Amino acid sequence: MIAQIKAVFPEAVNKDYDGNRLDLTVNKEAVPSVLLYLKDSMGFRHLSHIAYVDWIEQGEFELVYILWSPLDKVKLYVHTRINRENPVIENIDMIWRQANTYEREIREMLGIEFTGLVAPDEFILEDWDDIPPFRKDFDTLEYVNRTFWHRPGREDAQDVRSTISERSGEEIPDFAKKYSR
Amino acid sequence: MYNDKNSKKIVETIQNWARSHSIWVLAYGTGCGAIEISPTMTSRYDAERLGFRGAATPRQADVMLITGYLTVKTVKRVVRVYEQMQSPKYVVGFGSCTINGGMYYDSYNTINLLDRYLPVDVYINGCMPRPEAVLAGLSKLQQIIREGNANGAEKYLENLAWYKENQRKIAPNWIAKAPDLNW
Repeated sequence: MIAQIKAVFPEAVNKDYDGNRLDLTVNKEAVPSVLLYLKDSMGFRHLSHIAYVDWIEQGEFELVYILWSPLDKVKLYVHTRINRENPVIENIDMIWRQANTYEREIREMLGIEFTGLVAPDEFILEDWDDIPPFRKDFDTLEYVNRTFWHRPGREDAQDVRSTISERSGEEIPDFAKKYSR
Repeated sequence: MYNDKNSKKIVETIQNWARSHSIWVLAYGTGCGAIEISPTMTSRYDAERLGFRGAATPRQADVMLITGYLTVKTVKRVVRVYEQMQSPKYVVGFGSCTINGGMYYDSYNTINLLDRYLPVDVYINGCMPRPEAVLAGLSKLQQIIREGNANGAEKYLENLAWYKENQRKIAPNWIAKAPDLNW
């Protein structure tokens, strides 16, 4: 099965995390036709999830369509990149009905528009008037400071991690120092 | 005779004593705290021996137990449930999430301070509080009721504008459409 997919999509890579996983990167225009082909001809009958990543440094969003072939027991991750400035991609809920739910979530949490998606505006958030909260440039703490209140007393919280490490002589790696408080 | 100050005081004392011994709890099971309610209510800790009992609907309940973090969406429902409850009514904040946001203090959709939106009579500290702590907190509530100091509902009515302003701040469209105290 993996050889068959590689014959059709030569750029598919077998990352070999667990032997039955394939990763495939396609253009965003090709996504509906590729997914339809995989569903109808390759036996990937099940869409497990649409994962989303915000690559803010590269100015792109990434969508990962996670497909599963129940007969061949193969996972296929179809990656696609979308421009961050004008995030529009074709809706695929006519291929798998459950994609509708995932697309509504992505539209709300990341602000990607799906052309032809028929669904109510609000899904999880209500009364949301800021930028979508799962974007990396959304500053959560700043939003919390603006919207909610903090109870006094948190600011004098002691640096527990460094106290413990001093006592036991443990060395904290540099990247972890940022998180210890 | 019934209107003079001393008789009122005596009647209130008796009422408060009775109220403190028949507390019907509406466990508003948000977050993870609801898991501590079952051992509290069932045979191991058996809260009913102290007079605490589950209530089926908000209109029959005296105490609302808010067990854990509240998202912005849940706050709207909690406000609605609280306004449906009949006086005398008390609110018990359960766990550190209701006190200062707990581990969700920097989340975009959970509130930090419950007492900005509802009048809280007793807070139970902990993440999560054990059933002993729950019983201690509810006993503290009993004591406050007996002393006549559990006046959260009056506080809510007196400062309604302030509470509504805070609620409107997080839910501008929803609270504006909702009637005030008229569910």
